[in-house]
Amino acid sequence: MQNRFTLKDFVFLVLLLGVGLSVWLSMVQSDRLWKRLQAIEGGVVEVERHLSRLEASLESRMMSQGAPSSDSGSREGSDPDAAPSWARPGVPVAWQKPWTYATDPRTVDGYRSGGEFVEAFESQFKTVVPYLFKDVYGRRVGNLVVEPLATFDPKTLEIRGVLADAWQIDPEWKWIRVHINPRARFSDGQPVTAEDVRWTFQEFILNPAIEAARTRSTLEQVSDVVIVDPRTVEFVFRDAIFTNLEYTLAQAVLPSHFYSRFEPNQINGSTGMLMGSGPFKMESLEPEQEWKPGSDLVLVRNEQHWGTARPPVDRIRFKVVNNDLSRLTAFEAGEADMILPTAFQFRDRQQRPEWKQKARMLEWFNIRSGWTFITWQCGLRNEKLTPFHDRRVRVAMTMLLDREAMIRDVWGGVGSVPTGPSLSVSPMRNPKITAWPYDLDAARKLLTEAGWVDRDGSGTRTNEKGEPFVFELMRPSGSEVGDRVAAYLKDQCAKVGIRCEPRTLDWSVFLEDLKRRNFDAAMSAWSPNSPESDPRQVYHSAAMAQGGDNSAQWSHPEADRLIDAGRHELDPTRRYAIWHQLEALLHEEQPQTMLREQPWLRFVQPRVGNVHMYRTGAEPWEFFVGSGASGASVLP
Amino acid sequence: MITFIVRRLLLMLPTLVGISFLIFMLIALSPGGIGAGVSAAGAGGATGAAQQQAYAEERYGLDDPVLVQYFRWLHRVSPIKFGARDQLSPGGELIRLPREVRPAALLDWDAGEWRKARDSRSDVELLALARAQAQAATAEPPEAYRRAARAYAEGRVRQIDSGVEFRSALERYVGAVGVRGAFDSRNQPREAIFTALTPERSRPEWTAVEKAGRAMVEAYNGARERRAALVVAIEARPFPQVGVPIVPGVLSVAAPDLGTSFSKNRSVADLILTALPVTMLINLLAFPLIYAVAIPGGMLAASRRGTWIDSLLGALAVGLWSIPTVWAGVLAIGFLARPSGGLGAFPVAGLHDNAAAYFAFLPNVSSSGAFERGWLLDLLWHIALPVACLVYGGFAVLSKQTRAAMLENFSADYVRTAKAKGVPRRDVVLRHVFRNSLLPLITMFVSIFPAMLAGSVIVEQIFSVPGMGSLMIESINVRDREVILANTLMIAIVNLLALLGADLLYALADPRVSYGSER
Repeated sequence: MQNRFTLKDFVFLVLLLGVGLSVWLSMVQSDRLWKRLQAIEGGVVEVERHLSRLEASLESRMMSQGAPSSDSGSREGSDPDAAPSWARPGVPVAWQKPWTYATDPRTVDGYRSGGEFVEAFESQFKTVVPYLFKDVYGRRVGNLVVEPLATFDPKTLEIRGVLADAWQIDPEWKWIRVHINPRARFSDGQPVTAEDVRWTFQEFILNPAIEAARTRSTLEQVSDVVIVDPRTVEFVFRDAIFTNLEYTLAQAVLPSHFYSRFEPNQINGSTGMLMGSGPFKMESLEPEQEWKPGSDLVLVRNEQHWGTARPPVDRIRFKVVNNDLSRLTAFEAGEADMILPTAFQFRDRQQRPEWKQKARMLEWFNIRSGWTFITWQCGLRNEKLTPFHDRRVRVAMTMLLDREAMIRDVWGGVGSVPTGPSLSVSPMRNPKITAWPYDLDAARKLLTEAGWVDRDGSGTRTNEKGEPFVFELMRPSGSEVGDRVAAYLKDQCAKVGIRCEPRTLDWSVFLEDLKRRNFDAAMSAWSPNSPESDPRQVYHSAAMAQGGDNSAQWSHPEADRLIDAGRHELDPTRRYAIWHQLEALLHEEQPQTMLREQPWLRFVQPRVGNVHMYRTGAEPWEFFVGSGASGASVLP
Repeated sequence: MITFIVRRLLLMLPTLVGISFLIFMLIALSPGGIGAGVSAAGAGGATGAAQQQAYAEERYGLDDPVLVQYFRWLHRVSPIKFGARDQLSPGGELIRLPREVRPAALLDWDAGEWRKARDSRSDVELLALARAQAQAATAEPPEAYRRAARAYAEGRVRQIDSGVEFRSALERYVGAVGVRGAFDSRNQPREAIFTALTPERSRPEWTAVEKAGRAMVEAYNGARERRAALVVAIEARPFPQVGVPIVPGVLSVAAPDLGTSFSKNRSVADLILTALPVTMLINLLAFPLIYAVAIPGGMLAASRRGTWIDSLLGALAVGLWSIPTVWAGVLAIGFLARPSGGLGAFPVAGLHDNAAAYFAFLPNVSSSGAFERGWLLDLLWHIALPVACLVYGGFAVLSKQTRAAMLENFSADYVRTAKAKGVPRRDVVLRHVFRNSLLPLITMFVSIFPAMLAGSVIVEQIFSVPGMGSLMIESINVRDREVILANTLMIAIVNLLALLGADLLYALADPRVSYGSER
């Protein structure tokens, strides 16, 4: 029987061709519509820009003619010496300079408005909804879209008003009264009011059904949020702690009219509902077009931004490239404008002369750099004492590590040895402390002093009871760097007669053991988010209870006294002096051995301009994408 | 045949139950529990952590016995539901009755004065009281539900916080008095030790314990009252119920609810629906490619057995198969994708160009004269490397299998007959030998489906493709039980259906195979 091409086959073939043809024709038609849509979109954006320019010129004309402004509480047009109507009498009002560029991009060579800036992150971030995100990426995206009442100045690290144009602080720090800039508006044009601030705190953060537990716990001291008038809000505190200012003013203000439309479980499950008053906004806030992890996140410039400083770029795009090699290749190919290289990639490329043309290589310490350290168990582990309860043993452990060599070999020479649990750019760091030196003999002497001697010639030290000096070094899995540090530590310990047994644990098990204090020594890392952090969380004896972060179970009455005094000291200079004393005590006691403070590393395409290394990190909203832009600089 | 199919489908159910039970137990009994997905070190200290733990327990029922948790999950996933139907709020949340309020440890300790403040009314009495109060209230049922839910959430928070305070007060007292071993490894007080203690009432630490105990009892009473109010609010049916009742109040049919991911807070169905199309796209391109290359290769090798072509193809296939995927990915990036040192011919990050959202479908020339790839071509270009990494290793097994099956058939009688009859060689190979070699190929086809759904983790990691592989690995790392179970269930169902499909295909391909009733 032969295969013949019958009528049936012919009809079938024609039908198939017909289907293929119609699919192709529908794609052509959709492309035609697409082009028209893009033209319309471009037109709308132009109209928006014209509108905002008109508005700006109208406002400036009104002000120059001396017309009284609508809000009698604002500074312009009224007698600067008289107390404004919203303020409490008798307390000085701190007027804030308007928030603007840290470095004006228009003064930089090669400035060009427009274009898209692309940043590639290292791992997928799950949500960008404020207060719900659990990682740094959500915060970096959020900082461009929502604004707080005040934040840290990128150059001086002082708290400066963003949405707030003035505030009054109680001399006893029991209340703060904040006045919101009357020009402040959200990206849909609605004004930022005191009700938005109150709603953000009381109906969003403090709502137990919304998963904002982390921020909620920082608001312990806030007893009330009071609306004084539509543009003035007052925070009342239970106790006068130095973090009151930061924990209230540095919180992003959310638009209540937008977020109150959603139920708590919708907010908890949402990934891209981000709206605020910042210089950028999400491309679309329609629920069907909500951003979901797996696709790029695009922010467009907020044309109706109320601030005086306009971002140069039209769009900022955030991609995710997990693999280190892929990320570097994507950067080289021009698919990303800014990436975070590994320490080795950084050092390696720095030594290649052709890379100086390809990338601007930035390395700097800022308030978001972190540090790696080893925590010693100073208390009981499962009802038994570890060798590290003795201060001399802990100092000996620090001295038997050549931390400079470790940074050179394990981290490619990137980073520095911290002298204490503080940032090098922060005023908390005590400049007078020098790190313990690498001294094996001194370490041996201290160990002998503490009663650990090699009594039987086996090579391992024992105490009077005959127990050998053996300890477990616990660390989370998945880190090549961790492997090398553990191997180095084991070698060094062997040189002084200590047996170190590294143990790798799954991340969740590691956290569990930390919580239950079930470890001898644990390797971990920490990165703060502000210049000054509250040491009570980690070093106070009250945090020793399980669930608290004092996993070393280290306590010292002097430390408790210093921490309590420092928390209540409101004058910054005196407070920093107290923190310096605390750091000196921690240096002597060494409940943790600081290994390395890691700087931020970035590769940036040369065409991106106005990239500066600020003490708060980088300010992407000031970047412009041009050609032949000038070099970056480190600012003091 | 129909009975065969029905029987197989019914047999699937116990298999699925067995698989899900095994996986559930594995996750439940593994150390670390829910792990990093839920607990987060924050500035909260003890109360923050306790609140998060309690929130997780509330939402996912984590402190119930494992079997209870398993059956609760099974009930949620099955389309047949028992008991009252759940209600669906406008925000898409399924409203169920809140759990019982559990008294904290040592609430009823004889030695404590606070015990007397405990509300002795039973749950039934509280419910009756709440009903009476609800009658008097005027709010609409949805609004009443929201208020009751908020009040209940606040009551629970107060209960948890007071519990933490009480435990700290007990710790301080125990530390002052010098009793050891009073708390177990989970930081819960050991009741046996405490009940044997006679408290020293003169100590200030004991007064603190009394005070904390009283606060704890008050919070407990408050939580119970608020729970009763919430139950009444739910009974008032503020929202429409889901599903179709079969026996009202006892049996109903509703859509299966796969749950909410612990770590991502999104519904599992949503997560899978986002990740699945990406994985399927890559696999649906890869597998036909493998077949298209491997089968002709195997046929060629079989018909030219013993010659250098046969050996070359065999060596090539096995050589490619030996290259691990990780290395292949790195080689691909290094030689094909890198601009310096490599060809720079392929992209490396993700599946779309940065500007792909603004592309038209088909390639065109834009208004400024520049050539625009078009969305389709751009997608194919980005997908080329991931597909290549998936494809290269699949040739060996398939081509070898085809070659072996065909060789077996070459020496069969009917082939000799066909050749003797004068059938052209091409027809002998294609129409007779190949058709009879199909059975092993069908078997292999079946094993492809679970691989398709599980995705390839390595390729997805290297090329930043957000598919099922990354989803599974991330969920396993944080012990995200809901996602793992849903994924496993889906893979198991598809696997079993694919096996059934393979059996049916056998019947189609080979007339000798039949599943009808044997007489």
